[in-house]
Amino acid sequence: MSRLEAKKPPLFISEPLAKDTVSQSLSLLSGILKSCYGPAGRLKQLHNGMGGYVCTTSQSSAILSRLSVSHPVLSVLTASVQNHISRFSDCGLFTAILCCSLIENFKSLNVASCTVIKISKHLLSLCMDYLKSEVCGCRVSVDFSSLETLLCLVRSVLTSKPACMLNKPEVDHLTMLILKAFMFTVPCHVETNAVLGKCVIVPVKGRRVVDSTVLPGLLIETPEIQLAKPLAVKRTCSNMIKIALFCVSMSGDLFNPEEGTITVHHGISLEMSELNQLLNVGKQLINDEVGLVVCQKVIHPSLKQYLKENHVVAVDRAGLSLMEPLSRMTGSKPIASIHSLSPCCYGSLKDVRIESFASKHFVHLIPPDTVVCSLILCNRNETAWDELKRACETAEHVLQLTMKEPLALLGGGCTETHLASYIRHKSCSLSSSSFKDMDCSRTQYQLVADGFCRSLESVACSLNHDGGEILTDMVYGHCWFVPSGFPSVSNWSDLVSKCGCGINGNTENLNWRLLQGQFGSPIIQGCPKDPSVKVSDFLTLDCFAAKCSGLQVALETANLILDLSYVIEDQN
Amino acid sequence: LPMAFRDVNARRHIGLQQLSALALAGRTLLGPMKSCKFIVDESTNQSTLICSAVRLIESLDLTSAAGQLLNETIQAQNKEFKTGMSTLLFLIGAWSNAILECLQQNVPISAIVSLMSEGLNSCCERVQCLQISIQDVNKELCSSSVRPSAFKSKTCQTGHDSLLNPQSFLYFQKDISVPEEVIPINSHSRQEDGCNFNKCLVSPLAGLGSIASLVKPAGDKSTSVISGSGVIASSYNKQKLTHSRYFSTLGKSHFSHQQDNFQGYLSGQSADPRECYGLGHLAMTLSHGNQASMKLLQSIVAYQQERAECSGSSQFNIAEVVTCCLLGLPESYSCVSPGLVTLVSPEQATVIKYIENKPLRILLVDGDLTEQYRHLGFNRPCNVRTILEHPSLQEGRAGDLWLSRMLDILINFEVNLVLVKGNVCENLMERCIANSILVIGSVTRDVLCAFGEVTSAQPVTYLTQLNSSCVGNGAQVDLWKACDGRAMDLGELVPARVKVRGIPLLTAVLTTTVASKMQLIEDQFWTLVYRLHHALNDEKVFLGGGAVELLCLSHIRMLAEQPLQPANKNAVKEFHNPWLAASATEYKSVVLQALASGWKQYLSVVMCNTAKAASELEACTSIDHHLKKAAGCGSPSAYILKEFRRGDLLGGGSGLFADHGEGLKVYDNVTAKTEAWRRALDLVLLVLQTDAEIITGPKRNQLLNSHMSSEFTFL
Repeated sequence: MSRLEAKKPPLFISEPLAKDTVSQSLSLLSGILKSCYGPAGRLKQLHNGMGGYVCTTSQSSAILSRLSVSHPVLSVLTASVQNHISRFSDCGLFTAILCCSLIENFKSLNVASCTVIKISKHLLSLCMDYLKSEVCGCRVSVDFSSLETLLCLVRSVLTSKPACMLNKPEVDHLTMLILKAFMFTVPCHVETNAVLGKCVIVPVKGRRVVDSTVLPGLLIETPEIQLAKPLAVKRTCSNMIKIALFCVSMSGDLFNPEEGTITVHHGISLEMSELNQLLNVGKQLINDEVGLVVCQKVIHPSLKQYLKENHVVAVDRAGLSLMEPLSRMTGSKPIASIHSLSPCCYGSLKDVRIESFASKHFVHLIPPDTVVCSLILCNRNETAWDELKRACETAEHVLQLTMKEPLALLGGGCTETHLASYIRHKSCSLSSSSFKDMDCSRTQYQLVADGFCRSLESVACSLNHDGGEILTDMVYGHCWFVPSGFPSVSNWSDLVSKCGCGINGNTENLNWRLLQGQFGSPIIQGCPKDPSVKVSDFLTLDCFAAKCSGLQVALETANLILDLSYVIEDQN
Repeated sequence: LPMAFRDVNARRHIGLQQLSALALAGRTLLGPMKSCKFIVDESTNQSTLICSAVRLIESLDLTSAAGQLLNETIQAQNKEFKTGMSTLLFLIGAWSNAILECLQQNVPISAIVSLMSEGLNSCCERVQCLQISIQDVNKELCSSSVRPSAFKSKTCQTGHDSLLNPQSFLYFQKDISVPEEVIPINSHSRQEDGCNFNKCLVSPLAGLGSIASLVKPAGDKSTSVISGSGVIASSYNKQKLTHSRYFSTLGKSHFSHQQDNFQGYLSGQSADPRECYGLGHLAMTLSHGNQASMKLLQSIVAYQQERAECSGSSQFNIAEVVTCCLLGLPESYSCVSPGLVTLVSPEQATVIKYIENKPLRILLVDGDLTEQYRHLGFNRPCNVRTILEHPSLQEGRAGDLWLSRMLDILINFEVNLVLVKGNVCENLMERCIANSILVIGSVTRDVLCAFGEVTSAQPVTYLTQLNSSCVGNGAQVDLWKACDGRAMDLGELVPARVKVRGIPLLTAVLTTTVASKMQLIEDQFWTLVYRLHHALNDEKVFLGGGAVELLCLSHIRMLAEQPLQPANKNAVKEFHNPWLAASATEYKSVVLQALASGWKQYLSVVMCNTAKAASELEACTSIDHHLKKAAGCGSPSAYILKEFRRGDLLGGGSGLFADHGEGLKVYDNVTAKTEAWRRALDLVLLVLQTDAEIITGPKRNQLLNSHMSSEFTFL
């Protein structure tokens, strides 16, 4: 008999942001994420402390998915960043750092939160309008007819993940491969509804990164097929290979009745009848001239033997993740029952081969035209391979997003500082009617705008991890870096070489100022200029869609958190 | 709230300290002269004898994150190469220490990372000039050009050894008519005869002959020349020559030295390198003093090459080699035997006596041979009930039914030999023994494949699948005997041998009387096998004996001195990354020194371990001396190459590893070595760039209540 316990009343916490523990946790989280940011970011070892797998990473997706935070304020933040990551893959750290900074900066202002929210929404709309306008000085358009910008995009993603442990030749090699893999996924013949194909990453751990490669079609790992024998596959009259794709288990175990018991007479073997059914399927497959049978799950050894004797290649344990691309690539419909076989389910392939990489053997399925490809990804150890896989997936996603919207933003902190100087300039020249619309004073607007700009600049500053100074110039509003060990009074033009994104060199006097110096941030007289340089090779570029979304998510989440007045905690 | 967070102190990086402490234990495992270690578990008082970095790491407590990553790195190298793990472990320690010193001098982390990884890259490119193609290695001993004059003084000494060989040849080749006195001509004819002789002798081996070699303990030079005897081969003559392949090699190498001394007599003599040495010589240069394993490997190579010439298959196939460990026989009984040698029970041995030397019908089973076994992925139904309406007493238990059905199948197909990948039901085993059917369990997939290939047997998962095309023919089985015909009495188990005419499979029978050495011997054997495998895959080898490391040192010295500008001029074309490269120039020499110190310590520890130097100080002096001379002569690589050829690199002899056989070159694997460097640096840099540990899961609560809780921040 259970005893009833009186329900505890829910805990009511007012003004959660004013609590010390919350601001401490927030600044700790912000510190962790800031330290991860950029190509020189510090890594985190995530593990259970008991000798299990160690994940070494600086990527927000890996950290946030393992980090469990207790406070609702932090959960709101991490949840919305994770949501952003799931949609865009890239710019997760940017979003999280910006959000933390915005909260900290806005909280310290002595302005009512509803006013802050109104003003910051206005600032966001200024930013978005600017980013989407033709005059925007921190974006470049991506030309899909040449490789350079695309390579820059991919390379920027890879180099911003130091835990991948890539050196320069390896970055170059992988950049090419990722782009090549992406090209494979673009369909050659576009009808009304163009859909990108898929790149499947095949893990080969323990190998050198330069051993990685891309193949059209799909690879299914098979331990059993002996390499010595060349594959003899039956072909149809059109010289194609007919393939049957099963998503149901063919292991010969019984169909699984939900409940109840089956009673059978002694001497009757359900296993045998099931096997006979399978062999009947096999017979039909052979009659239908199928050359290759692929099963998501296991094929009964007797059926395999039967198929083999009839020169049909059988590959089992393909796995769930391959089913969708397999079906797409071959045009076959996955067969979900071994009791009814319709000939219209079959697909076709151009060729089937055996490939081996390291100690692994694969069956390589080659389709007539490729929208599906396999990236055989190698890295020397487990933790670096996992990091590299995440980076490759991000890069692939970035290319897809860029295809939809062929724009890129300047990276290396330049977009952040440029936007900040644009907002500073813009907020000075706002008409008083706009303030009336927002129900705020000019001073309040200036305060919030300054907090917003400082937040943006603090993201750029987070790129620096080894001391030194961050500068911005008064012409383009870009971000510049000076290594530590120089007195801050020296002439900046002697010390800087290139801006963060690499588009501007130290050729003219750009009037450098310390970013976030003690005298406050400088305000540019005019609008920050668009560097009219032709897009050269080796720029650091960020994904346009991901960064725009990151900016919006960060600000909206910060506003949401600022607006929290109560936390009600159920204590039962 | 399952998460704790620890800041890693930047100046005294905890992770790097842990790496350095763990790696320290592996110092004595470096180089060809390893000192074994006993690892004692204090709680159980059990101890293990280890002699390799992998086994060391396996036995250490590695619960820390850095320890885990270290383990992962060593295991990855082991899985990929089976060699280079000690180098890897040592460099991890040495570079961790060196980087800790850089941190003490306030070098920014990003500068360490970019300079070190670029430095290593540059070194790896530089040392490519010390690579030698496999063909050149093979040619080396055949042609006389490689023997520089410096060696001449030693010829008399080595002549003593080499004399043993021609004599033994002469003893058997009584019909040789060339007068013995004329050494050069004599040697020439002997070479040719030796080759021909080998050819016709090894061919019977492709059948059922046994390659047995009597391996004497290393250092016992006077007796090591005597080769073992075959089990089946009837004439002593044959047995002798089976093994003379290698010894003729050695003999020949000395003859070529002598040719050097007798120039003019034999100029223009040329021999096909593969014909005279094959891979045996390569195996020897890669053995680094591991005589016992080397001789086994040479037997394997001789057998496989002979097969390759007949069938056109690859020269050396690692998948066709298995080992069988026999505890209780002296180490000198180790040998290579065609087919599969495995341990069986005395009952099975009685069956073997019965079916010995008869052609057997063989069946391969690709799973367990038990009633309950089902293939992987088969889910047993849980809700099926069987009812029996008319019980009859004639039918026995269900198990008996299965047993007799299986036995019937085997008898119907006249199967005498069953090789099973998994376990075998004991009752079935008994019934099979009673019916003179030999069933051997726990056979690996590669072995099944090898038998499948030559007997045309098709592996099955269930006996019910059997049809006549699945059964293979022509297998034979006997009890394995040592080369002197000594009967095996190894307690419970008896070694048996399964063979088929023309089977590519070879078993290296490894014997020792010391139980704790068994693993060690097996590991060493596989290391050497894989070295040869990788050398053939790479198609090239590095000069050994510290040559490569020395060139790295001299290259780094040059890098550190040369201004960084050339790189900067190219920077226009390079990916711009101000966050990594900005501060590099300033710290260049400090960081490159740190990189160099890894190799320098490596060389000095190897020299100390091999007793080429009395102390690390002495070793360092000698290294510095070489570096100075290398820098002085303009081309360091040419200097190192010259010293290597003279056999005068680091501590005299032919390099660090000169103890076995004068004039023997030492080579290293290319990829395994450079990968070990790269993996070591990757791990150290990975740990260096880590600034925090995030601990998730139940451990967090323990930490909260422990005395260490002050080190952590709880989110």
